[in-house]
Amino acid sequence: MQRAAKCALRLDISRAFCPSNVRNCGAVNRVNGSVSCRRYSVLPPPRDEEEKAMLDSMLRVDHAGEYGANRIYAGQMAVLGRTQTGPLIQHMWDQEKMHLERFNEILGEHRVRPTLLLPLWNIAGFALGACTALLGKEGAMACTVAVEESISEHYNSQIRTLMEADPERYTELLQLIKEFRDDEIEHHDTGLEHDAESVPGYLLLKTAIQAGCKAAIYISQRI
Amino acid sequence: ASPLWLDMAALIRGLRAGRALRGLGGVAVQGTRSTQCSNVRRGFHRAALLRLASDSKSDTSVPPPSYHEVHTAGESSSSSAQGESSEDAQPNTSFQDQSGEHSEDYETEEQLQVRILTAALEFVPQHGWNMEAITAGAETLGLSSASTGMFNNGAGDLVLHFVAQCNAQLTETLAEQNNQVQLGQAESKKTGEFLKDAVEMRLRMLVPYIDTWPQAMSILLLPHNIPDSLKHLSTMVDDIWYYAGDRSTDVNWYTRRAALTGIYNTTELVMVQDSSPDFEETWAFLDNRIKDVVNMANTAKQVQATGEAVVQGLMGAAITKEIY
Repeated sequence: MQRAAKCALRLDISRAFCPSNVRNCGAVNRVNGSVSCRRYSVLPPPRDEEEKAMLDSMLRVDHAGEYGANRIYAGQMAVLGRTQTGPLIQHMWDQEKMHLERFNEILGEHRVRPTLLLPLWNIAGFALGACTALLGKEGAMACTVAVEESISEHYNSQIRTLMEADPERYTELLQLIKEFRDDEIEHHDTGLEHDAESVPGYLLLKTAIQAGCKAAIYISQRI
Repeated sequence: ASPLWLDMAALIRGLRAGRALRGLGGVAVQGTRSTQCSNVRRGFHRAALLRLASDSKSDTSVPPPSYHEVHTAGESSSSSAQGESSEDAQPNTSFQDQSGEHSEDYETEEQLQVRILTAALEFVPQHGWNMEAITAGAETLGLSSASTGMFNNGAGDLVLHFVAQCNAQLTETLAEQNNQVQLGQAESKKTGEFLKDAVEMRLRMLVPYIDTWPQAMSILLLPHNIPDSLKHLSTMVDDIWYYAGDRSTDVNWYTRRAALTGIYNTTELVMVQDSSPDFEETWAFLDNRIKDVVNMANTAKQVQATGEAVVQGLMGAAITKEIY
């Protein structure tokens, strides 16, 4: 009982403050056999090295994806922040910030290594967002459509993997990924509504961005 | 050669072949792969199991004795790791009877190896890190010296076992201290102090073997031992930072671990040639290195804050200029 309360308190504290360097989130450890902490953590305690490696790589690439999406919206805001589309982009950016925060917590709790290429995604994401925004509102929306489509496809394939493996074991994780996937699809649809397709060279732009996203996903899973 | 020697060697070879043929998951090809791969995997498995056990042990109040029986492959390693500290997560292949269950009197090859290596550590100050120590250890357990034939890597196995054991002990102590802090029974330490205490605790475990430690270090640097020793080192550093409270998810994750790895390695080197009473010079060196790293981190933060302030100021000036 006390342990469950402790777990809840720890997770609340970690949500209130910045997750990095908080000393109190210690003992929700990897091989916690106790059932009471299970309810509050998104991942089940890993049963062997292979499962840990698989979950690690999934979370690592998801974290990298949200981080990149964040930077893309930041780039778009830097260019289009003061125009009419500013509030719309800001709204989508806020949702991505929330996703990123959630992944930061999970990574910290479950001791998952973040990808080494984060500084690269930082610069690349910002540059992509800024450059497409320079093409105007339609360019920014086209970039959003392309990226969100890639991300939702990626989340879908993760959902498929987890469902094939063991849906009951990963219920919370599946719920989380489904929720985020639904948000990304919403962003994708918003982009389409706001004249994404009317940018000149839409197909070319979209294909190029999606190829870049696929490469980023592939690398972040490994490095 | 005596018939008993031949029997033992043949039996061990038979077990190995049996394991290779069983084709169990990813480790199926252990027998057919080169011995280094199997040793890397096995050695790290042992370490991982020691860690799993110590992680779970930190939650239970009574550490159980190390050498309980292993159950069938169906049971999860987390529940059985509660009971054993050296259990093999892989299905057992030695001495299975008809039902595939293990009978009470036998243990796995892994467990036996761990027992022999632990016993061998006693003889290291006398013989050094080599097969002689392992042979002496095996003989203390009442086994014939031929049983050391199962250690392909010999000295490497012994050193890696020792490192894994020390790391498991360190993790257990850190987890226990963390529990104390969580329960409010102890004060939490500042990061620098925590790191210093953790590294000192870990290095003190080398003190009984300090005379032969340079030999062990060079064994760890042999090419076929490097993957394993790097894994042990990185897991240890990750553990220390985790219990120090690091939850960073950006490039700091890497810089912090790199810094601590550097500190640990250099302090270890200082320690092996330190002749001061109770290694005072080593701890003073460690203190200074930790202070350096903490200073650098603070300076970096200040530089970043200043940089941001400067940028804000420039933006403000640009906007003001624009208005005019």
